[in-house]
Amino acid sequence: MRKRVYGWALTFTRPRDPEPLPVTFDRRRVYVLPTRFGLFYAVLVATMLLGGLNYNNNPALLLALLLGGTGLASLVAAQLQLSGLAVTAIDAEPVPAGQMMLLHVHAKAVDGRVRRGLQVALDPDYEDPALLDLQPGNGQAQLLIPTSQRGWLELPRLRIATCHPLGLARAWSHVWPQTPMLVYPRPETDGPPLPEGSGEDAKARLHPSGEDPHHLRGYRHGDSRRSIAWKPSARHESLLVREYQQPAGADIVLEWHSLGGLPHETRISRLARWVDEAERDGRRYRLTLPAQPAIGPSQSPGHRHDCLRALALMPDG
Amino acid sequence: MAERKPVVALDPHSRRWTMAAAAACVLPLLLQLPSPLGLLIGGSAVAVAALSWRKPLHALVRLLLTLALLAAVIALSGSHFGRDTGCAILAAMLAMKPAETRGVRDARSLLGFALFAPFATFLLDQGPLSLLLGLAGVALALMALLRLTDIESGIRDATKTRARFGAVTRLVLLGLPLALAAFWLFPRLATPLWGVPERTLARTGLSDEMSPGDWIDLMADDTPALRVRFFGTTPPTSQMYWRGPVLSDFDGRTWTRSRRSTGLPPAAVTRANVLWDYQVEIEPTERRQMVALELPIEAPGDSRLGHDHELFSPLPLSSLTRWRMQSSPPETFEADLAGPLQQASLALPAGSNPRTQALAARWRSDAGDDDAAIVRRAMQWIRSEFAYTLSTPLAGRHAADEFLFDQQEGFCEHFSSAFVILMRAAGIPARVVTGYVGGYRNPIGDYWLVRRSDAHAWAEVWLEGRGWVRVDPTAAVAPERIYDTLDDRRPGADSLLGRMLGGDASRLFNATDWLRQSWNQLVLGFDAERQSRMLRPLGIERLDGVRLGLLFGLAAVSALLWMAWLSRRAERQRDPVLRAWHALERRYRRIGLGREPDEPATMWAKRVAQADMGSADDLLRLSQRFSSWRYAGRDDDSARASRQLILSLRRHRPSPPHAASPGNGEHR
Repeated sequence: MRKRVYGWALTFTRPRDPEPLPVTFDRRRVYVLPTRFGLFYAVLVATMLLGGLNYNNNPALLLALLLGGTGLASLVAAQLQLSGLAVTAIDAEPVPAGQMMLLHVHAKAVDGRVRRGLQVALDPDYEDPALLDLQPGNGQAQLLIPTSQRGWLELPRLRIATCHPLGLARAWSHVWPQTPMLVYPRPETDGPPLPEGSGEDAKARLHPSGEDPHHLRGYRHGDSRRSIAWKPSARHESLLVREYQQPAGADIVLEWHSLGGLPHETRISRLARWVDEAERDGRRYRLTLPAQPAIGPSQSPGHRHDCLRALALMPDG
Repeated sequence: MAERKPVVALDPHSRRWTMAAAAACVLPLLLQLPSPLGLLIGGSAVAVAALSWRKPLHALVRLLLTLALLAAVIALSGSHFGRDTGCAILAAMLAMKPAETRGVRDARSLLGFALFAPFATFLLDQGPLSLLLGLAGVALALMALLRLTDIESGIRDATKTRARFGAVTRLVLLGLPLALAAFWLFPRLATPLWGVPERTLARTGLSDEMSPGDWIDLMADDTPALRVRFFGTTPPTSQMYWRGPVLSDFDGRTWTRSRRSTGLPPAAVTRANVLWDYQVEIEPTERRQMVALELPIEAPGDSRLGHDHELFSPLPLSSLTRWRMQSSPPETFEADLAGPLQQASLALPAGSNPRTQALAARWRSDAGDDDAAIVRRAMQWIRSEFAYTLSTPLAGRHAADEFLFDQQEGFCEHFSSAFVILMRAAGIPARVVTGYVGGYRNPIGDYWLVRRSDAHAWAEVWLEGRGWVRVDPTAAVAPERIYDTLDDRRPGADSLLGRMLGGDASRLFNATDWLRQSWNQLVLGFDAERQSRMLRPLGIERLDGVRLGLLFGLAAVSALLWMAWLSRRAERQRDPVLRAWHALERRYRRIGLGREPDEPATMWAKRVAQADMGSADDLLRLSQRFSSWRYAGRDDDSARASRQLILSLRRHRPSPPHAASPGNGEHR
């Protein structure tokens, strides 16, 4: 019940629609409310005030007023923590649906004020807030958000809040980035293995130490140890890798139409798993989807991203 | 209570800070409690904190410890439940709180309650030490709160202590205008909402009764009782008799205030042609009895004059109070003594002090009708035969007999009591008056300090035609003792520091007491009465509650506005050129031609030109200048160039379509 009322009240807070980044917080969209401890503190100060007035005890009164003034100042200070802060960008590596996506929230504050202990959280539930500490003016927070569906993930409203300096008041502001995040399709958990490449040159792929080295190139992270040309490497004092010109026939063809009979989403899942497997195995692959040109053949993280992106953005069946 | 969030644990650093801050808050309170109580609570606090350092104590252990400590506190503070007991219980609860402090929440509530301790301290004592310690405790507590907020938001490394102190100081300074405005202007209560609980901690002071020998404690108490500032003539020290309780009932051992005269209107007085105008600051005594020089002309404020011209405040003097008074010595004082009052002023218990009675009878037969001759004879005898000392044995059944005929030495209580008994035995109405005599002039602040040790008792005898006349038998013996003319009676001379510093001690004392007096002047004595007269220098004679409230509201609103201004100013663009540029954009936004966030300045200017604005040409030039200032390399006299740019940006106003365009829009 309490949560519902709170959620209803939140619909009146700014912003009410997604907005392009960067967003600078001004005082119109920074909200400040006392925390529970702040309310306790207020009661404490009020009691002191009443007691000091009643006994005409001036030191007590002065203490109460000083604490009250400090409390109010901490409200202002809490607002100052947020006011002028700019959320410059939000980005994330795409993840398969169902996994947590690590959102990088970049923020900066141009003026010299120290802003400590800002917390970023998803708007409705505020669980597991991420710390955004921008002492020198720039900073970023890393926030995990759940994903459930492939395609564009519309970001929810994010809440950037702080209880600094004294924990008496929480100042918060919402940012609702327009930037959608890409979520890859969920790969099939178990299913048929990767289809073999077609054609007679297919077997050549299996003998990387074969006879026709096309040329040597420098070692790149992820190259198989078997493809390292040890003798030339020893001469050059750096690792060299034999690169073979692969016959087109050895490429794996991931064909949408070949999976006829499967439900729409299952096809996407299976293709997504195959893309991952082909990439992992270091094989060239090509993806053909209906109503668009074939992607590839190629083999690289960029190619994998292109394929998965195309799969993620397939229209719903 | 169900906790929504998991407990955020305290790291050792924060735990140390929390405990230290709480201890600093409670320390001044413990110092004010009776020492056994203070030691007990302080000791248990240390023990509990040490025991629960690694992990919280078991709930049962906690309960038992709390109950035991509370029982001990109540047992130690006696049956009377008052402010002291309340404060002691608060301290005890605070001492137990560390036992269950696990997370940030617990630490917060510990600090919150600890903030209450300095408040409780001020209810017991408003001295500078309490004040200093209390404020230090509060500052530490706020710093600890800052640290708690840090770990709650996930910051692991602690801020430097100095940075934290700076942050807290900034906050306090930011809140200070509001606090001060409220302090001076918040309407005070002229009468309290609820009664002031008696402070049970006994402080020796003038009491309503006196039995010879019981003032020894008082005579040794060098703390201030009054501070007096004279306006105009200052009476000589030998005339500074600060009249307190008048005691005329005697039961053979103890003098008490007369029951017969209560409720009667003030006795008739004719005054000498001398007027003393002065202001008295009375340190808190928890009694309603006030003191005044000689006979006050009228009761100041809402105080009340008794029949014997004693002053009573309407409420116990629980805090420092300040009274402006006029006094003068009496020419005649109650010249017609009514029969029952005369009887009461002559009464002696049957059979007491037979030797004194016999002497008085002999003197009476010698002197005949001349009362004054008997008084003179007694004073002569005392002057020649008696000595002043503070070390006297406890009096027996016939105290006056023993004093007059055996010991012949004592201090004011013995002298005044025996003298009055002698007079009464001789048929002269007489009574004991207690109060203070003399005072020490502080040259720094030009005021007189009267200490509790200046407490004195003297006599008044009733003489035909003159009424009550003051007679001070002690002064006949040891004037230097009571009028503060001895060097060793100078304040501070007796203390350890005084002996080390020699003659400089009193100067040091003068300075510190003057500081104290100034603090009193500024803060402690500020009450409803003084508040209402606050604006007298500005010609406003009296502020009533409504006007005061309005003034307070005004001050509070302006302080809040100041805070709001601070928070607005903080988000202001720092660069003046950008600020002027944004202001210019806002002017266009108002007429619906605002720049889009992604629109370059010159593009925007072109769009404005398309909208057929009269000022478009100028805007185009300005936007080009602005762009080159912003993005092109800046040349040497960029300071001058940017100043000119700012000026032009500020001058520019959008002018409506087809208006005569004067170029740079200098019309407004």
